[in-house]
Amino acid sequence: MTSMTPPAFGTESAHIDHEITEAMAIYTRLYPTQKLTFIFYQGKDPIHGAPSIIEGPFTFRPHHLSPEYLGRVTRPGAGVDSPEVTIILSIPRRPTPTEAKQTDASWRPVRPLARLFTAWPIGYEKIRYLAEMRRKKRRDSKMTSRGLLRGEGSGHFPPAARPASDKKPAILIGMHWLEVGGAEKLGFDTIRWALEAGLRVFVVASVPALQRLQTNLPDSPDVTFIRLDRYLAHDKWPRFVERLIRDENIGLIHNHHCIPLYESLPQIRAILPWVKVIDSTHIVEYANGGYPRTSGVWSEFIDIHHVISRELVDYYRDNFQVIGKVKLGRMLDRVEPARELPAMTMTPGQNTLRVTFVGRLYYQKRPVVVVEALRALDKWAVANGVQLRGRIIGEGPFLDTLRQMLKRYGLTSKVELLPAGSPVPQIMADSDILLLPSNNEGLALVCYEAIEQGCIPISTDVGSQAEIVPADLLVPLEPAACVKGIVSVVDRLWKDAAFCDRQKAELHAAWSRIAADPTAQEILMPVYRDAAHVTEE
Amino acid sequence: MPALNKTAAIIVTFNRSAKLVKVLDALDHQTRRPDIILIVDNASTDDTQALMETRARDDDSLRYLRLPKNVGGAGGFHAGLKAAYGMGAHYFWISDDDAYPEPDAIANLLHAITSFEESHAWRPSFACSRVEWIDGTLCEMNTPRPVWDWPRFVTAAQNWPLVDSASFVSVLIPRWAVSEHGLPIPDYFIWFDDAEYTRRIARSYPGIFVPESVVLHDTPDNRGVNFGMIDEKSLWKFKYGARNEASFRRREGGLVNVLAYAYGVRRQMKGANVPKDLRRQIYGAILKGISFRPRIERV
Repeated sequence: MTSMTPPAFGTESAHIDHEITEAMAIYTRLYPTQKLTFIFYQGKDPIHGAPSIIEGPFTFRPHHLSPEYLGRVTRPGAGVDSPEVTIILSIPRRPTPTEAKQTDASWRPVRPLARLFTAWPIGYEKIRYLAEMRRKKRRDSKMTSRGLLRGEGSGHFPPAARPASDKKPAILIGMHWLEVGGAEKLGFDTIRWALEAGLRVFVVASVPALQRLQTNLPDSPDVTFIRLDRYLAHDKWPRFVERLIRDENIGLIHNHHCIPLYESLPQIRAILPWVKVIDSTHIVEYANGGYPRTSGVWSEFIDIHHVISRELVDYYRDNFQVIGKVKLGRMLDRVEPARELPAMTMTPGQNTLRVTFVGRLYYQKRPVVVVEALRALDKWAVANGVQLRGRIIGEGPFLDTLRQMLKRYGLTSKVELLPAGSPVPQIMADSDILLLPSNNEGLALVCYEAIEQGCIPISTDVGSQAEIVPADLLVPLEPAACVKGIVSVVDRLWKDAAFCDRQKAELHAAWSRIAADPTAQEILMPVYRDAAHVTEE
Repeated sequence: MPALNKTAAIIVTFNRSAKLVKVLDALDHQTRRPDIILIVDNASTDDTQALMETRARDDDSLRYLRLPKNVGGAGGFHAGLKAAYGMGAHYFWISDDDAYPEPDAIANLLHAITSFEESHAWRPSFACSRVEWIDGTLCEMNTPRPVWDWPRFVTAAQNWPLVDSASFVSVLIPRWAVSEHGLPIPDYFIWFDDAEYTRRIARSYPGIFVPESVVLHDTPDNRGVNFGMIDEKSLWKFKYGARNEASFRRREGGLVNVLAYAYGVRRQMKGANVPKDLRRQIYGAILKGISFRPRIERV
């Protein structure tokens, strides 16, 4: 990777030099002929450069020479009369070790309801659930799902043609950020696949962050991470992206939840119409439809919508009337020869019950409901003479809350909290039940992995979960009903052998159906290869 | 050919997947294939959706709008035209799921509407095809209505009479007409939605009938709309037709116009000896039409 990020340690002077080089590279590309003046300040946070651009003559005012003022650097223009552009930037400080490790502060209930949470966590969850459903209802009734219009121009005007380039073809991959997440996992996979296809890869991210996963980018001179998230305001992205495409022979864009890259599409379509555009989407959010809605709105500007679940295929069809260019590609690896599924470990009447949860400890996964479910299952286990063993694998802002709840419920001896790096396949192979009471999901791959390890998933009926989890193993979303539903399903699996066998058979059938679908790699690689082998039209 | 000519075909369908396939095949063979083919599915319960999904795998121009419930042809054309307008098309070719265009049907409509404008400066509000029944005779129900000076611009080279009413079977509507006059009325549900709409947009300038553009309408029989043909089975459609036309006439010509319409309907029913009970229901529908004032949605 062409590293654009300084090491966490090192002299401050090296850090400043590195950041200045990086910021200047961005603006030199954006303003190739103008006379540039950079005014640098010491940043207060480790994330954002707070860019501000003044096109035209610049006058220093007292506040420009604040205590944080570092200095100025100029780059001469192409000619004596080149127009002036002044760029004001803060150089983010280096993150502290704590900041580098932890993404978010520990979760706390909202202040007015803090006492309610202490007294009655599931009641708090219920209020949060109701608020979420209200937002969804409002979205359904108020938000339009109308795509943006796109005039393609008239044949009366000469079409723009891709210029010849002596550079190896490249792809621009836009990410939301380079932090942990499902979309980011696919983003990193696509960076790898693009390299394999023979493309040079430029990566940009829209959301300013420490971008902790940038160290996971392939170590290749063909991968360049450009810190637009830190140094370029969103409204300047279209012109920068246009320059980048021209300079670097980019023929393909793949967008993973990167909003300013969507907003750059009119510039690309008008000026560089030969560039092919793909986007990938994962989950329809309750509040505003999330990225699938954004993607649908931009659909006229996009060549291929890659989606990971059938729910999304339906979403594009039902909301935007788009079907042909929506391609389902599962976030799975094709294994040849097809693997044999092991028998499910749960047997009716067994005297132990091993229940596992795997996921990031964020609200979306509803870790509070997980603990409530474990508590209810413990009561059920005691009543039926069964020994419960729970495991929660994951990290995130809810970790401290879970610790407190487990202590309060007296479950610390029965429920383990394990770090995110734990051996998930082995733990699942040693589990009977996987709990997934999520607030929202696309299609949780962890369910797919659970079946591969002989573990029965019980999930809320959200997103595309019905594709992988049989109807009898789906539980309601409402928190209290969810907990009750989980206990009820476990009870039936434990008592009713025929029911248990039927669920196992249905899980295997669902797994096989999904395994037969094309994978994301199978959908995307041909497009990448085409882009790698086309240089001129 | 106009400078901007992105064309969207809008086909409304309901439980007729076999015929729809023939329509799609006919569109594939067009000498001027539409840039967008939008299928509006009135909540079909047959294999229409699966068919569309399969076909769209190899055809990015196919769009599929599945309505949550059957809102009739009128609701379907309203939703389809609205969606296609939102897709940025400059011309909308509207047709039925059992009407198969000849290979040059759409090209001829586009040619006629643009040539007419180039030759005479007037902008036709629509161009409609000659609709033939399966035996090659004129399809009675799809006969356009000429205006009084229909031959004004008719020549041997440009044989396009002026018309002010046409059916939604192979009619090409330019974008400006939709911008100026809005969308078809969905509340009509069925019947008279096409006549109302084409008459509305023809206020700007009449449309043209283009006989060299031919479509085949695969209906069970070739009958026009005449109130003398009412029976128990077809009564519901005639009731919609009577209500909708009465509403339209009330809007356009006042009560006297409705009375004239009612008189004509009475004469047709009496002449064909339609049972009194059915007649009463038609009069009821006409009465309902007087107070039925559906909203016209603008884009």
